[in-house]
Amino acid sequence: MIQIKINNQNYKTSEEKTILEAALENDVYIPNLCYHKDLKPEGACRLCIVKINNRNGLIPACATKVKADMSVITHDDEIIQKRRNILWLILSEYPFKIDKKSELYEVVNHIGAKQWMKQFSSIYKNFNVIKDQPLFIRDLNKCIFCNRCIRVCQDLRGIYAIGAVNRGWLSIVNTPYQKTLKDADCKFCTACVEVCPTGALEDKVEFDDHDKKEKLIPCSAVCPAGIDVPEYIELIAEKKYQQSLEVIREKVPFPHILGIVCPHPCEGECRRKGVNEAISIRELKRFVAEKDNERWKKKIKKSKKTGKKVIVVGSGPTGLTSAYYLSCLGHDVEIYEALSKPGGMLIAGIPRFRLPENIVMKEINHIVEQGVKIKPNSRIDSLYELLNKNPDAILLAMGATIGAAMNIAGEFEERKSVFDGIKLLEKINFGEDVSLGNHVVVVGGGNVAIDVARSAVRLGVEHVHILYRRTREEMPAFKEEIELALEEGVQINYLTAPISILGEDERLVVKCSKMKLGLPDESGRRRPMRIKGSEFNIIVDSLISAVGQKPDLAPDFDIKKNESGYILVDENFKTSQNTVFAAGDVVTGPSTVIECIQQGRDAASKIDEFLGGGGDIIQNFVEREKKNPFMGSEKKFAYKKRLKGEYIPLQARIDNFIQVEQTLTEDKALLEARRCLKCHYRFDL
Amino acid sequence: MKKIRICMGTSGISAGAKEILNKLEGKLTKHGLENDYEIIKAGDRGLFNDVILDIEDENNLFIYENVNVSSIGKIVEQHLLQGKPVEELLAGEDYRQFFASQKRIILKNCGIIDPENIEHYIHSNGYEALKKSLSITPHKVLLEIKKSELRGRGGAGFPTAIKWENCMLETSAQKYIVCNADEGDPGAFMDRSLLEGDPHSVLEGMIIAGFCIGADEGYIYCRAEYPLAIKRIKKAIEDATNAGFLGKNIDGSEFSFKINVIQGAGAFVCGEETSLLNSIEGKRGVPGFKPPYPAEKGLWNMPTCLNNVETFANIRHVIINGGEWFKQIGSENSSGTKVFAVTGKVKNTGLIEVPMGTTINDLIKGPAGGMINPNLKCKAVQIGGPSGGCIPFWELDTPIDYEAIKKTGSIMGSGGLVVMDEGSCMVDVAKYFLSFSVEESCGKCVPCRVGLKRMLDVLNEVTEGRGTDEHLHFLQEMSDTVKSTAFCGLGGAAPNPIVSTVKYFNNEYSKHIQEKKCDQKICEALFVVEIDKVNCVACGKCKTICPVNAINWKKGEKAFIKQPLCIKCKACISVCPVGAII
Repeated sequence: MIQIKINNQNYKTSEEKTILEAALENDVYIPNLCYHKDLKPEGACRLCIVKINNRNGLIPACATKVKADMSVITHDDEIIQKRRNILWLILSEYPFKIDKKSELYEVVNHIGAKQWMKQFSSIYKNFNVIKDQPLFIRDLNKCIFCNRCIRVCQDLRGIYAIGAVNRGWLSIVNTPYQKTLKDADCKFCTACVEVCPTGALEDKVEFDDHDKKEKLIPCSAVCPAGIDVPEYIELIAEKKYQQSLEVIREKVPFPHILGIVCPHPCEGECRRKGVNEAISIRELKRFVAEKDNERWKKKIKKSKKTGKKVIVVGSGPTGLTSAYYLSCLGHDVEIYEALSKPGGMLIAGIPRFRLPENIVMKEINHIVEQGVKIKPNSRIDSLYELLNKNPDAILLAMGATIGAAMNIAGEFEERKSVFDGIKLLEKINFGEDVSLGNHVVVVGGGNVAIDVARSAVRLGVEHVHILYRRTREEMPAFKEEIELALEEGVQINYLTAPISILGEDERLVVKCSKMKLGLPDESGRRRPMRIKGSEFNIIVDSLISAVGQKPDLAPDFDIKKNESGYILVDENFKTSQNTVFAAGDVVTGPSTVIECIQQGRDAASKIDEFLGGGGDIIQNFVEREKKNPFMGSEKKFAYKKRLKGEYIPLQARIDNFIQVEQTLTEDKALLEARRCLKCHYRFDL
Repeated sequence: MKKIRICMGTSGISAGAKEILNKLEGKLTKHGLENDYEIIKAGDRGLFNDVILDIEDENNLFIYENVNVSSIGKIVEQHLLQGKPVEELLAGEDYRQFFASQKRIILKNCGIIDPENIEHYIHSNGYEALKKSLSITPHKVLLEIKKSELRGRGGAGFPTAIKWENCMLETSAQKYIVCNADEGDPGAFMDRSLLEGDPHSVLEGMIIAGFCIGADEGYIYCRAEYPLAIKRIKKAIEDATNAGFLGKNIDGSEFSFKINVIQGAGAFVCGEETSLLNSIEGKRGVPGFKPPYPAEKGLWNMPTCLNNVETFANIRHVIINGGEWFKQIGSENSSGTKVFAVTGKVKNTGLIEVPMGTTINDLIKGPAGGMINPNLKCKAVQIGGPSGGCIPFWELDTPIDYEAIKKTGSIMGSGGLVVMDEGSCMVDVAKYFLSFSVEESCGKCVPCRVGLKRMLDVLNEVTEGRGTDEHLHFLQEMSDTVKSTAFCGLGGAAPNPIVSTVKYFNNEYSKHIQEKKCDQKICEALFVVEIDKVNCVACGKCKTICPVNAINWKKGEKAFIKQPLCIKCKACISVCPVGAII
């Protein structure tokens, strides 16, 4: 440490610092625009001029190292006057309004704009504002040529997509030969936007200080479990598979299952979509889950036994997740499962050709290994039965396991050939015999409808039709699954709805109507309306209803529910009963695996607090290191296509329940992971 | 053998030297004289736009000046065949005066020897300095340079010995010599003529520098606009390598040295040393921070000794004749000679080498031959190109000396010297140099990139009649800001033409601003061309020459100008026999 004087005050600083750094760290502000803590000094804006004892003239503080006993003057009449003149020069080329969020605005506020030679104010160069390129807007009129963007792109990132073009007064920042950013091999890390002090580079997505991270790393932000997506993608790219898996496992106990069935909201928001196509995040998760050597087990943070006992009802993703974290927190957890196998919807509601049983069982076993006990074949129909076991807390997580009604005539008559889709899937998944005939019609547009239709195909049904009352666009089922179903011969009749079921047990006559779409309903989708006179009959062997699910609670289960039959809870997952909590589909209605996991996590945290713990379920498996900011240049980076796993060929899958989608090969996974824009790097600047 | 010497530098070639040579060779062959004469293709002697041809026999030397394709035939037939020199074509008094009042040390070989023939150079004591250096120690070489008090000829006048010593003291295994041949000042061509006329002298200086500081590689950074110079340097490097003055174990010593030629794309700022080094490294030619100076961390972060062409050309003379001899030449603080590229309103424009300490007046009246138009006196001299300032006529007794010139507000610079007469408008002069700097600013720092541009905008308003006192105040204050805050020396010096013209010719600015008048009739918006009815002799010559038919004249009547049509080309003024148009 050395001592220096700034404006006649003594300060301590270290020798390798520049005057500007030493001043700023001691809260002495010296105006600056081209300086940036992570970049080599440029000395271009000249606003940080100071005076130093024993040296003539004005010295740029950003480029001059401190020396012991140096005495620096940061503000005097001459310095202020010259700064004002320089700022006047900058503003003479700047469009009228200064972006209030920009650093330039602060600098203007500090130095003060000079009113002088008004005919030369805001003579900006009238460049076209470039709005039609991905992720950010470039307004070169606002560029003051501080070169921060160039330095960050070239020196720090090694990408060289932009550089200084032209000379003198006409100098601008541009791509070589004015190529588009994509053609200039920009990697869209947007570090340039981050460092721009004037608003010349601006993110297309709007945000403020509070939601900046959410908006700029949307994959993580939209993940219900908040998985650190960019981190694990990057670790895959670096072939650090165990670490990558640990990052995923910090938030979820089912990486492999999610890697197969997660609806991947992350991909929907992936910023790479703005460049060309989203990263195959889900498939990368599956890839890395299959590299598991279970190293993570050694890293699990386990609390001491608390002696508290928690009963969880239902071993679906909510119940299992909650049980897992509660067990890590030292509680004694027991799960009651109605079916013969644990897993809830994972095992009963998703067909094996999408999610093989062994994968589900493997990940459930990991949870059992942590000490969670699972009791199968233990349907709970009475709350008092549980309370009698004297647990310290109960979590109800029995899901929404029975089909919702279609509300059409003839639906409730007992018929052998009318099936509840979700129950039918359970039967098929558990290997029970089902007989559907040769003509099957499935009603509904969700995943269950598609899954059951595809299962029917595999069981040998010749004609499988789906009736859906809206159009393909509104269909809530996963797009890929719809494609596969069509490929497998499932016919989808859009804008068609059954209005009554008639006929005999053997052959059903289903009266249908064509529909049209009206104004949007509360779900935001356009409401289907019957077209009068369009009614027609179809004759089928069986009808499968798959229009939604609801909880299967015993009628006298003593807990407060809403009118649709879902358990009511407060913000702490507490039900109307003191020690009883509820979470997952039984509360929210049918949702996705990842949403259930998040319910399970949050419920575990709240239950732990209820039991006197701190509610801290966080598992830190991987130390986050400061990133090496270098990215390097890569030809045609922006044009690299999204890579996906192969599907097994139609003929090889049509008559069996073998998993259809195959894992990404390692080569493809690495290429895919390396397509990531690394949006998170920007936050290290 | 008898010799015919023809000056064929860029200047000579542009004046027709190639065609003259072709014709000469044809004639010699035709008359069977081709074996009697050795033709020497020399560089330029420094006289602008002039082909000079010497005919030399055992006893006599005849110098022909302003030779052209039609006169060469006569010279061959009359002089060579009949032995009668063509009197009317022989160089005259101006030529004699031009050379007689110079002291040519480094230009001595230029225009005399064949630059593409290393034997010629060796014959003129060439590479003797190198041999001498190799026979003594680097420290002794440095000592001679120290004694000579040679200062860098690039413009700033930094003592060469200190620069060399700093490089010498660096312990790095790899060091570089860089020769700055990126001559960018408008109108300056000292370096070009040296490289074209005597390239080996520059190489020899570089090799000695390499030996002195312990470098084994050198670069010549030459602007691509000098193709002939580049060709000749490359030839010289090849010949010197073949002769053992470059390459491994030079002249049998342990010392090895090689030289590379880099072509610059002609950016003015690349004459600034850090920009030049950036450019050699393949980066954008913009200045970098100093310190560290190139002597510590230069090319590729290695210690680098960077000198100007003219500085290197001086080295051999210092070594051969000794530092003390060199110190004798010139003034107290500035030793040796300085080459100037003299342009403007003087009789002899061209390269003039004079001892330091010579006054500007002596230079103008001596080698430059005085003013072209005896009626228009010298008003000011701009030294140092766009980074320099103007020295007014009442300061012309200033000696050519780094410090003395600095005192006037100008700089020595690399040797551009423009002589202006009373017909020059100083506001326009300032505008000219400023617009050059605006074009050539590298764009890196705000004061230079935007400041100069805004100053030019303001100056334009002044010359267009929209100036106010605020304009003048702006120019002065902004000059001060740019000078004290620009990143590099070029930006810092760019306001000099304004500062010096405002200082010395404030009255002209006042005329432009207050009276909206340009007395020199240069700034178009600020003057009208009128015919003085009293003096007009009604000859009608003005009407004939007027390109836009703006002059009303009938035979026997006095002419007058229809002002709205006049484009102020001033053609009429030049033809009026009685000076009645003003």
